[in-house]
Amino acid sequence: MNRSVSTVLIALVVILVVASLALFTVDQRQNAIVFRLGEPVQVITKPGLFLKVPLLDNVRFFDVRILTMDPDEPERYITSEKKNLLVDSFVKWRIVDVVQYYISVGGDETRARIRLAQTVNDNLRAEFGKRTIHDVVSGERETIMDLMREKVDTDARKIGVQVLDVRLKRVDLPLEVSEAVYRRMEAERKRVANELRSLGFAESEKIRADADRQREVIVAEAYRDAQRIKGQGDARAAATYAQAFQQSPEFYSFYRSLEAYRQSLKTKSDVLVLDPSSDFFKFLKSPTGKR
Amino acid sequence: MALNDPNWGRRGEGPPDLDEIWNRFRQRVAGLFGGRGGGRRPGDAGGKGFPGGAWLLVVLVVIIWLASGFYIVDASQRGVVLRFGKYHQTTEPGPQWHLPYPIESVEVVNLSQVRTLEVGYRTNVKNKVLKESLMLTDDENIVDLQFALQFVLKDPKDYLFTNRNPDETVMQVAESAMREIVGKSKMDFVLYEGRESIRAQAQKLMQEILDRYQTGIAISQVTMQQAQPPEQVQAAFDDAVKATQDRERQINEGQAYANDVVPKARGTASRLMQESEGYKQRIIATAEGEASRFRQIAAEYSRAPAVTRERMYLDTMQQVLSSTSKVIVDQKSGNSLLYLPLDKLLQLSAAGAVAPPDNGERSVAPEMQSQAPPTVDSRPRDAFRSRDREPRP
Repeated sequence: MNRSVSTVLIALVVILVVASLALFTVDQRQNAIVFRLGEPVQVITKPGLFLKVPLLDNVRFFDVRILTMDPDEPERYITSEKKNLLVDSFVKWRIVDVVQYYISVGGDETRARIRLAQTVNDNLRAEFGKRTIHDVVSGERETIMDLMREKVDTDARKIGVQVLDVRLKRVDLPLEVSEAVYRRMEAERKRVANELRSLGFAESEKIRADADRQREVIVAEAYRDAQRIKGQGDARAAATYAQAFQQSPEFYSFYRSLEAYRQSLKTKSDVLVLDPSSDFFKFLKSPTGKR
Repeated sequence: MALNDPNWGRRGEGPPDLDEIWNRFRQRVAGLFGGRGGGRRPGDAGGKGFPGGAWLLVVLVVIIWLASGFYIVDASQRGVVLRFGKYHQTTEPGPQWHLPYPIESVEVVNLSQVRTLEVGYRTNVKNKVLKESLMLTDDENIVDLQFALQFVLKDPKDYLFTNRNPDETVMQVAESAMREIVGKSKMDFVLYEGRESIRAQAQKLMQEILDRYQTGIAISQVTMQQAQPPEQVQAAFDDAVKATQDRERQINEGQAYANDVVPKARGTASRLMQESEGYKQRIIATAEGEASRFRQIAAEYSRAPAVTRERMYLDTMQQVLSSTSKVIVDQKSGNSLLYLPLDKLLQLSAAGAVAPPDNGERSVAPEMQSQAPPTVDSRPRDAFRSRDREPRP
């Protein structure tokens, strides 16, 4: 029984050692190539537990997650109107064909990146050269990105890489051009500000003028109506007078004259030079009134 | 076991046997584990102890090995179990167990924790990162934009296995998407009325791109922290805003003027109307009054014309002469040139003094105050007097 226990234990250890040499796992994130004496014999694209011949076989793993290529420094491109643009882009890519990838870039990610960066640069330069700043910034940004994806993807397939996306990040004007843009923006704002102020003045004047007009009209109309009413009054009064005075015009003339005398001659500063021979003084010289 | 233990001597048949001690220990432990260890091999236990101990060791190792598969998933987390490197399952919060290494492994991801990303600034909006925040707009202006986004994981499997740096990807996508949206919009739209729309569009686009990359990330919120013109042109923009207010102010001032002038004019108008109405009433009343009076006097006059006429005439003359200055000159008494110092007379009358004339023989009789003879019939005179006080139109 001792022996059997020892045997079992030894057997277990041996099995473990052999298993560790002959078995390998491929992670969910990885693909693998099995090389037998340097010759690729098996490509594993699925995760799980796999067998290899111990010592003879050699396994190489490749990360097949989506990778990013994001250059630190923006590149300078020239647009069709010969203006410089600083462009920052990033590329999303992943290995889809490990064998091809291994053959063309030796499975070296850095080399793959350099290769991709060149393709992206060349294509971007070409696309930007055909377009104006406005097209690049807004109008055809998506078109460029789609085109870039297709072109770079086609090229990348040669190294076993799929390009999922090429996206423009920053599309900026160089510093010296930015300054010019700022000056233009400033001028533009000044124009707007002046226009606003003038508009304000104009509208204010309009309102004031309208108010003045209303005032004139209101007062004039009121004056007109007032005069009409006064005229009505005058007419009524005249009619009343005429009706009354017509009864004895001669007496009216006398009556009215007397009143006029009284009204016009009533202060000390009025000096009358009278002739005592007038009718009024007929009793002044003789009690009979004879001259 | 102490030295004075009575059992000590009983065991002292020989020196203590290490094997025996080990066997006893083994048996006890085997008993603990039930029939398997202790029950199956009670016979061989008396022999060599080591192989039996090895079993025990193996069992222990196996237990520890199995126990290494325990793990705890927190309420906000999910466990992702890989079997031989292949995705096996996602486990819910609570204590969990997986087949131990090397068969299965687990990766615990924080699922519901909200992660925040700041674009264009760090920590504080004032702490700007111009490289990220300055963007070109459709009309080739430059705006300064700061925004933050919050995201959670919606699919731990995608998050772990599809992208190498999913968190970094969010930053790249956020910047790229926002610039694309801003690049399509006019500056005024970005800065003023369109902020909400820009934000929503950008969020939608970001999510689309992230889904395309299968990052397993859900953007829960994009917030515009600040959208303003670059510092270099800030002053001009502020002035434009001020100009808007100036415009408002001027219009308001105009309105105020109008609100002042028009009602006042209405007031003037109604005053004119009322006055004219008053005038009309007054003039008519006056006319009627005077007409009525005249008719009455005329009626009396027609009854005794000569006397009434004479009386009225004298009354009036008396009144006139009593209140005026007068010079009576008898022209028939001599035709030599008469000197009449009118200016002096006027001065005198103005001063209210009386200057007697030096020439009495020529009957120049200045009479400043005449004594009115008492009138028998005072009615008409009173009537005249009262009439004087009436206002004349």
